[in-house]
Amino acid sequence: MKAVVEGDLELKVPDGAAVRKFDAEHTHGLSHCMKAVDFIIEWKDRIFFVEFKDPEAPESRPKDRRKFLHQFLAGQIDADLKTKYRDTFLYEWGFLRAEKPIHYLVLIAVEGIGPAELLNRTDALKRQLPLMGPFGQEWPRPFVAGCVVLNLAAWNRQLPQFPVRRLTSSHS
Amino acid sequence: MSIAGVKLERFTAFESLRVHFSPGLNVFVGANGTGKTHLLKLVYAACDITKSQIDFPEKLVRVFLPSGRALGRLVKRQKASTRCAVEVFRQDLKLRASFTNHAQKAASATVTGAGAWRATPVESVYIPVKEMLSSAPGFRSLYAQREIHFEEIYADILDRAYRPALRGPTPSARRRLLDYLQKIIEGRVVIKDEEFFLRSRQGNLEFSLLAEGLRKLALIWLLIQNGTLLEGSTLFWDEPETNLNPKLYGPLIDILLTLQRSGVQVFLATHDYLILKEIDLRREKDDQIRFFSLYRDSVSGEIACHASSDYNGIHPNAVADAFADVYDREVKRSLGGLEK
Repeated sequence: MKAVVEGDLELKVPDGAAVRKFDAEHTHGLSHCMKAVDFIIEWKDRIFFVEFKDPEAPESRPKDRRKFLHQFLAGQIDADLKTKYRDTFLYEWGFLRAEKPIHYLVLIAVEGIGPAELLNRTDALKRQLPLMGPFGQEWPRPFVAGCVVLNLAAWNRQLPQFPVRRLTSSHS
Repeated sequence: MSIAGVKLERFTAFESLRVHFSPGLNVFVGANGTGKTHLLKLVYAACDITKSQIDFPEKLVRVFLPSGRALGRLVKRQKASTRCAVEVFRQDLKLRASFTNHAQKAASATVTGAGAWRATPVESVYIPVKEMLSSAPGFRSLYAQREIHFEEIYADILDRAYRPALRGPTPSARRRLLDYLQKIIEGRVVIKDEEFFLRSRQGNLEFSLLAEGLRKLALIWLLIQNGTLLEGSTLFWDEPETNLNPKLYGPLIDILLTLQRSGVQVFLATHDYLILKEIDLRREKDDQIRFFSLYRDSVSGEIACHASSDYNGIHPNAVADAFADVYDREVKRSLGGLEK
């Protein structure tokens, strides 16, 4: 397994999967005009765009954690998540690397967020990307195969091949 | 003097249950068939007899409406002969009734503590799931004169709603609550010849033409305006979310929390996640809220109750569990048959 790290969160990918840290400024090169997801994983028949949000990272302030939670529940993070996906898609498409169905995985590493909120934000993100074309028709050439917003527990339950853990012992 | 708790032995769905209530807001969650409504009705019956002077077992029969009005059918079903007991507590008062599964008449029950219990009356309101105000004209007289198969909670709520407004100036706290409700329902309620109307700038709109969710809020307006819901009273509301647009949940919970702060003891049964979350999000530090999760114990198979003063402490939470199940299936679909 190979491990990559974003802040306090470590993501492991199985052998046979290729993972890239995508939003590193020195390799991305267009961060002045395009947003970027944290990681891109290519695995078997699909590609994952992966975005981590970690307001409970050890260095974060309680005030900022509360602010994030409020913004997340109010849907104010959705637009940022949408733009990250679309810009990343365009970037990869330009490099001829968007050749498999792409699934968008968003990890919100907050313990207090439960299934109802995650379900609501998943549906909102589907509408924002958007997953479907005009008038509810499927895109003839879809640019996103699926998206899902997960908390840490849901991630590790649903994606056991790609375990995520906190690095600091206080959270482990 | 609020209702402090109940103790049940072999009553309806319960084998044995002891519950301690909050003097503020009590919220019951649980799957269908775990006895939420039964608990509300039982405590309501105990409150109502302090005003109506009906005997406790008789009120139980009228509120639960067992087949043939046989009191014994309220005993938990078992093969052998058995006896049930219900106890309701208020400070140092205890109202107790016990009866066997063979009891046909309410008078055959053994009741203790009723005298002292009635000596301190408590105003109470039970709002059933089915809205009644639009069916009100003629219902009360029909209920009084004929043997119609309706639980007495339906006639009782109309009795409360028909009460005339209180005399004298309205205290400012009550005025604010009435104004808040009037803004939402866009009018005030008037009664003409037993018929309820919403009076607005456009004129009088009969309740049968008013959205059902708004009828519920209009009922609360009436009960506050006529002084039924005042400090020291008790409100029972079974599934307030029924027919109400979720956007009105927030204002509804604000009203219930305000009533609770003014000394109204509130009992609520709900299946709705948003109702629970609105309570959790809108509560203030000093609010006295207790959540009760009714569930079937996996070992005994009997109904048990877990209490928590915090939303996150509700366990098991049938409402949240339903969301978790839907969410898990949504994730699986979004991942599109990912190999594990």
